Amino acid sequence: MIERWALVSGLRGDLETYDLIQRDLKKTRGVTSLFVLGDLVGPERNCDALLDRIKNPHRGDLKPDCIYGWWEEQLLAERGFRGERKADALRLSQGEDAVNALLNTVNPSNLNWLASLQFGFIELDCALIHGSSSDVGDNLTSETSPLILLDRLTRLNVNRLFTARSTKQFHLELTGGGINSQVKDLNGKREQQQEVPKRSVIGIGAGLNYTLYDVGSDKTHFLTAGSQTKTKGMGFA
Amino acid sequence: MNHAIISCLHANLPAAEAVLNDIDRQGIDTITCLGDLVGYGPQPNEVVELIRKRDIATCQGCWDEDIIDGLNACECSYPSQLAERRGHLAHQWTDDQLTDENKSFLASLPTSLRRDRLLFVHGSPNSQHEYLLPDMDAFAALERVETAGADILFCGHTHQPYVRELRDGSIRVRLQNAAHDCDQGEELTLPMRKIVNAGSVGEPRHGSTNATYVIHNDATDEVEIKEVPYDVGRTCQAIVEAGLPKVFAWRLSHGFEFAEQAEDASHVCER
Ligand SMILES: [Zn+2]
Ligand SMILES: [Zn+2]
Repeated sequence: MIERWALVSGLRGDLETYDLIQRDLKKTRGVTSLFVLGDLVGPERNCDALLDRIKNPHRGDLKPDCIYGWWEEQLLAERGFRGERKADALRLSQGEDAVNALLNTVNPSNLNWLASLQFGFIELDCALIHGSSSDVGDNLTSETSPLILLDRLTRLNVNRLFTARSTKQFHLELTGGGINSQVKDLNGKREQQQEVPKRSVIGIGAGLNYTLYDVGSDKTHFLTAGSQTKTKGMGFA
Repeated sequence: MNHAIISCLHANLPAAEAVLNDIDRQGIDTITCLGDLVGYGPQPNEVVELIRKRDIATCQGCWDEDIIDGLNACECSYPSQLAERRGHLAHQWTDDQLTDENKSFLASLPTSLRRDRLLFVHGSPNSQHEYLLPDMDAFAALERVETAGADILFCGHTHQPYVRELRDGSIRVRLQNAAHDCDQGEELTLPMRKIVNAGSVGEPRHGSTNATYVIHNDATDEVEIKEVPYDVGRTCQAIVEAGLPKVFAWRLSHGFEFAEQAEDASHVCER
């Protein structure tokens, strides 16, 4: 079967957005998997209704596979699920009020489920991670140094990295280049030539902005839920 | 000016003394130490006190960190369960021996030192536990130096001394699917950078029993890898007398044959 993935992130408790995306996907041909790359929760609104819908899909919903994101990491850390660590990154960037707001958006009964989520998925030769293997908060965009992007791909030994943290939609391909290296040790010198492997980093967007990925043809489609114009030619019934 | 970089002394006092004598003989008075003052070897207090007495600028190694924070490295640090058990044994023994004063000295060490364009770390700028092996992916190696904002990165931790020059690098990229439909690619020219691994004073794994360290000339950027013979027998005897695993002595007296290294050296510990 030809695989087509839908990739979603940054819902931050917004059930309405999730519902719009599910409706979109129902009308889109051939979507085989739905991946939610973290940030299911956020400080803006109560997140329990969204979490319930994700855990117990409606009839006709595409069943989501979820990993945790930066906001889950902050929540879980503050709630004692990360050993000594607390929500330091959130506290530092947005202050104590933001930490308290986040704590109040999720019923404690949902914490164990959130804590059971994985850091990432490896599917075929693709890695699906909220930030990167370096950090859940790794903010990769099309402006990030290609050297860093290549490093993040190399760490996982994958050809494609799908990332969500930046909330941007982009598909950056590494198409060529190389580097020379000379190593000198007590046995002498040796030269090495290495080429840039053909790999790419894909930003999937956040909220209403989501991505379809055709695995066979390596094509990405950047969509906005509920907007018909952009989805033309995407196999709408 | 010439300056010396030493690493991984591993509580081996005869080796540490021999290397410092060798450096003194050349009239070099700037020395930087990349950590792992303790672990494996039989004289942790003596080695720490020698470094303190000579007031040598030092960053914290993986063993120094573990003695302070407790052993919470993931199993990735060990190539086998046997090696892990021996590692734990040495950790416990070292923990029992070290005085509180020497422990607080280890705790006070910074994870990196910087002098202008030179950066000194134990493992990598990311972690005291990350191995930068001489043949690791060249782009990933360059990324470590470049992201840390250095021209030359001095590291240890692998116990194999080397100098690696990374040059003539470039990466071409192309944006697919851009909103403003520009399909032209771009090319990034990468800077020339160097990684210098100081090897190991007290637990060499480069194929001979000699202690190793490096000398860098900061005017010419020339790097020399130095080998220093020392009284291996004295250290081995002290290991056995201390009741440490005999394999540590065996390893020292044979050079690299019994070297133990994490199998997946590129693994990045997530802790
Ligand atoms: Zn060491
Ligand atoms: Zn080390």
